[in-house]
Order: sequence, then C-alpha cells, then structure tokens
Amino acid sequence: MNPSIKLLLLFIIALEISFSLIISLNIALVILAIGYLLLHHTKCRTIGWLLIVPLLPAIGLWSTQYINGTGNKTLMAWVLFTRIYAFVFTGATFTLTTNILQLADSLEQNWHLPSKFAYGVLAAYNLVPKIQHEVKIIRAAGLMRGQQLSFWSPKLYFKAILVSINWSQNLAQAMTSHGFVEDAPRTHYRHCPLRWQDWAIFIVGLGLIQLGLFVIPWS
Amino acid sequence: MANIALENLTYTYPEAQAPTLNQIQFTFKAHQFTLLTGPSGTGKSTLLKLMTGLLKLPANQGCIRYNDQPLTTIAATERAGKVALMFQNPNQQFAMDTVENELIFALENRQVPANEIQAKLTAALAFVGISELRERNLSHLSGGEKQKVALAVIVAMDSDVILLDEPFASVDPAARASLLKRLIQLRDQAGKTIILADHDLTDYETLVDQVVRITPDRHLTAVPHADWSTLFADFARTGQTDQRWRLPNQPAKPLFQLQKVALTQGRHRLLQPTDLTLLRHHNTLITGPNGSGKSTLFESLVRLTDYDGQISYLTDDIQTLRRKRYARQVALLFQDAETQFLNITVAEELAQSQKYAYGDYFTPARITAAMQQLNLTGHEDQVIYTLSEGQKKKLQILLMLIMQSPVLLMDEPLKGLDLKSVQALVTLLKSTIAETHQSLIIISHQLTGLAPLIDYHLRFEQQHLQYREAL
Repeated sequence: MNPSIKLLLLFIIALEISFSLIISLNIALVILAIGYLLLHHTKCRTIGWLLIVPLLPAIGLWSTQYINGTGNKTLMAWVLFTRIYAFVFTGATFTLTTNILQLADSLEQNWHLPSKFAYGVLAAYNLVPKIQHEVKIIRAAGLMRGQQLSFWSPKLYFKAILVSINWSQNLAQAMTSHGFVEDAPRTHYRHCPLRWQDWAIFIVGLGLIQLGLFVIPWS
Repeated sequence: MANIALENLTYTYPEAQAPTLNQIQFTFKAHQFTLLTGPSGTGKSTLLKLMTGLLKLPANQGCIRYNDQPLTTIAATERAGKVALMFQNPNQQFAMDTVENELIFALENRQVPANEIQAKLTAALAFVGISELRERNLSHLSGGEKQKVALAVIVAMDSDVILLDEPFASVDPAARASLLKRLIQLRDQAGKTIILADHDLTDYETLVDQVVRITPDRHLTAVPHADWSTLFADFARTGQTDQRWRLPNQPAKPLFQLQKVALTQGRHRLLQPTDLTLLRHHNTLITGPNGSGKSTLFESLVRLTDYDGQISYLTDDIQTLRRKRYARQVALLFQDAETQFLNITVAEELAQSQKYAYGDYFTPARITAAMQQLNLTGHEDQVIYTLSEGQKKKLQILLMLIMQSPVLLMDEPLKGLDLKSVQALVTLLKSTIAETHQSLIIISHQLTGLAPLIDYHLRFEQQHLQYREAL
C-alpha cells in the first residue's frame, strides 16, 4: 500500500479512537493489525514484544483510572487499557512494514513535497545511530581529559550540538557534491505509484472505522 | 574537454585576517593528472571547494572558468556533470544509508532516466571493483572502502573534472594503489581531468602530468619537470621499507594482556581469538591494511566497543575498573581530531588539559614552546572548528600530550600532515616521552619520520595480530 496513504489512514484512526469509548472496537483494531502484520511476515517474537512492552503503561493507566477515576470507572479503565494497545498495534502496521525511504519517496513523488525536505529528513534519520555513538564517544573523550560529562552537563549538549551543526553543513556539501540542487527536477528510480487501489483501501478503511464508531451496537 | 582557468583568485574566510588564497593566476590543462601539493593549512581544501562551487567566491574576488565559461554562470544542475570533489574525510560525503541508495540518489540528481540507472550503477561499481559492496550499509565500511564508493559515485555521475582532497589520508597502500590505477584509467580512457591534493608524494612521479605547489605566500606555481626528482626523492628517501624492529623478550613488564580476545564488526570477524602482551614503557606500532580492525582494537582497549575474551591492564581486567579512573590511565587520540575537543577556542582547550593534567611536565613555558614548534602560535583565540585539518591534528596531539596519561593510544596521528609538521611532531613526542615515560601505542599507515620512535611492531592482517620484525 502507498506509504503516505497508509500513514494518513492510521493517523485518522488514531485520532478517532482517542475520542471513542468502545472497548470492542479497540480490540477489533488490535486483532486486525496482528492479522496485517502476520500477512507481512512479521516474526511472532516481535508481536510478542509488542504485547509485553506496553503492558506496564497500560496497567498504570488502568489502575489510575480504576482507583482514582470518576464516573464509570471500570469502563474507562478498560477503554484506556485497550486504547494503548490499539495505538501500539496500528502504529506497528506502519513502522514494521514501511521504511523511511519509501515514505520519503512517496512524499516527494505523490505529494510533491520539496525534495530538500524529504531528503533532509531522510539524511537526518540516517544520522540517528551515529549521534548515539557520538554521545558515547564525547563522554569518553571528556573522561580522558579529566572531565565527567553527566547527562545534565551543558558541555555534553553543547558539544553534541556543535557536532550536529558541523555534520549538517557537511551533509549539505555532500548532497550538493552528489548533484543535489534545491527545487531542481530529479528522476525517480524507485517509482512510488499512487493507485486507485490505495484510495479504495483508504475509503473502505475510513468507512469501516465510522461503522465501528457510530453504527455497530457493540454492547 | 575542460581547461580550468583561475583568474586573480583571492579568498579570505570571514573570521580570518589574512587571505587563504592570494591573487592566484593559473590554468589547469584538460585531460591531465595534476598533483597539488603544499604544507597543511595553506588552502588546498579551500581552493578545491571554490573550484566545485561548494564555497561561494565573492564577486570581484577573481574568477574560475571552465573552458572560458565562468563557474558562476554554469547552472547548478550542470555543475556536478562538470566537476566533482572527493572529500578528505571519508565519513562526510554520503547522504543515504547504503552504497546502492547513494549511487541512485546521485544519478537521480543528474536526471538520468530511471531505466538507465541500474546499468550505470552496476557499471560504476564494477569499474571501481566494489560490486560486492552494493547492498552494504555505508556506516559499516572502512575508510578505504568508503573512498572507493565515493569514486564510484563520481564515475557514475560522469563528471569531466575530478578533484580529490587528500583522498588517501586513511587508506592503506593496496586500496590507494587500486584507486590510483582507476584514476589513471579515467584520464587515459575517458579523458577526465584530475586534480589531486596530497602531502604524501609516494608513487606519483611516474603517474602525474604536472605538479603544482601552493607557496607560503599563497600562490600557485607549477614545479618544473627538472625539479621533480629532488621533490620526489625527499619522500622516497624517508620511505621505511627496510626498517627492522626487534621482537619483544618474554619476561618483560606487561601493559595490556589480551586473552582469547576476538573482535567482530557486524557479522564480519576482524580478529580471531588472540593471546598477546603489549609492553610497558615501550612504544608499539600497529600496521595493517585498511579495514583490518586496528581502530576497533583501540576502541575495545578503551571500552568503547564490545569484544570477546579478556583484556587486562597491568593486573586488572579492564571491565572491572571504574571508567573514570581507567580513562585517566589509558587515553585515546581519536583519528578524527574534532572528536577530542571539548571547548571552543584553542586557549580554552589548552587550559583544560593543563588543569586536569596527570603530571607537571607541561609548564606554561613548555606549552608556549610546543605551540611555537608546531606552528600554532597566534591561533590561541581562534575557534577550533575553523582551524585547518592539519592544525586541528597538531593541536589535538599537543592536548593529549599535556594530559600525560600513562598510556596513550594514537590512531593515525600523522594523518593529513605535511613533512614539516610530521618532523615537528615527532621531535615534540620524543622530548616529551623521554621525560614522562608514557607508553605509546600507535596505529599508522604513514611511517615517514615515525620510525625512530618505535620499539616494537605489531602487524594486524587477515584476522591475526602478531609481532613482526619488518613491515
């Protein structure tokens, strides 16, 4: 499915369930999402982790609502509990099946987002692991010069920001030297089509969620 | 195809007082291989960046013409087809994640039709001889491999003029020879114009058509052919190919003891389980081809990366030592000088090192003398990040010497330095360690000038790390 349409659909779903109080709908979404993930050959282990990791915050929300809530405490507690899982699993149907490169392609080709923006974000994303390692190195470099840089040390952040600014300049030069020109036409090797099927899935999906929200008498 | 004329070229960095390039008049002829040489910090990088348009030349500061057409009037989209630059730092020239995606990115920018991209990409990788790297992640490649990818991108973009800024500073001889061979092919078969900046003049004499020097007063002059032999002989004479080192005697004081230490990078094994002792109060040189794992070995010695087996420092397993205390004992001189810096100006950096120094050898007078020796006097108030690569390197080494930690691991300390700076540095190193009795472990591809400092030699090659008498 077209990545940006998928993202838009999931965004609308997330927004709508934020205001709904239907537990069964949340559970139905989780089940649908698991089905979709399995269809895309996601490992059962990964799905297992998706079930375990949100458990603590979900229980936290549940108990807060159950103990301190007002009105229908039990209902609200379970709504929040299942909503966390609905968020996590619908989100996973995007993050586990789409890479950032596909999204950038789609934003550039289908929605004519400036290529500077699409590739800038992409390049910054590719820098994330480098930044994590760099922070480790900065702290080691500090220790070797006799200075402990703790997590709240301004020097650590100053240094990290300096490194980032430097990288961003180098990145801009790297892109320019490889022929990138702002707002200039480019060709596209990976074609990212926006087909009628994508729109069909989008409209059907949107319709189904409205049905689930407003028509089906769940209880 | 493209003569490059520099007319009255002057360039001054906004924060600098003196011009980096001064009234340069010069013409590079088409289809020639030109070697651009000169001491570090004299503006070679600046010149190359101006010639690519990465640095903008202010109006009325001269003109750069490609075949009579001023660079400023060449459309931005056409420039990459006219001229391409390979950077000094192999880590700073890619925007994408994998080799393949970087090439696709460049070809799309050049507006190559989608159905031709596949063929051009395959051909460029095959030309440089790195087809097997196609799907690899760029961040997992060695410096030499990255420079090969950078050349493949330039080949794919089919630029008329290829500029290279110290491209071999962290590339081993085998990869360097391979890259040079491709460049000659590009000149002879594709008629490319090549301008390469380098300090290390080894191997160029028979390859290049022209040698151009940046003079101390920031002009360009061609070195007459008659003077070449003297110029290249300087480097040939200092070549260390017949250097011999003794092997360590066994009952010696151990510094590091490696027990069944194995290193891996991703899924790729760098070092087979190895037992080895490094000796205290001696200087050990580690050589080996690029990507063999020398830097990874250093990262494991300072606990920046994981390893299998056990590493002991003096008597203790390094994993049991407190990080803070251990960092005061064993310091690493990073390959990238900027990594070492923590402050903004040169003076602040010097002050920090002095404040936390382990010994008191470096008095203010000795620091002033060392600054003079390294030709850094007068830069005290300069922002570190505006120094040239060579100046950064020299400052970095001085800062770590001032610290006087008992053990200093140096990763390519001579990288990108000219002969004069190398000599100044080695002199400083010698006089310092004679007094401070530090143990140095040095990784270096470049041995010019370094050899007298070395007691033992370790070779890191094909997953093995062993003492050797010769290179």
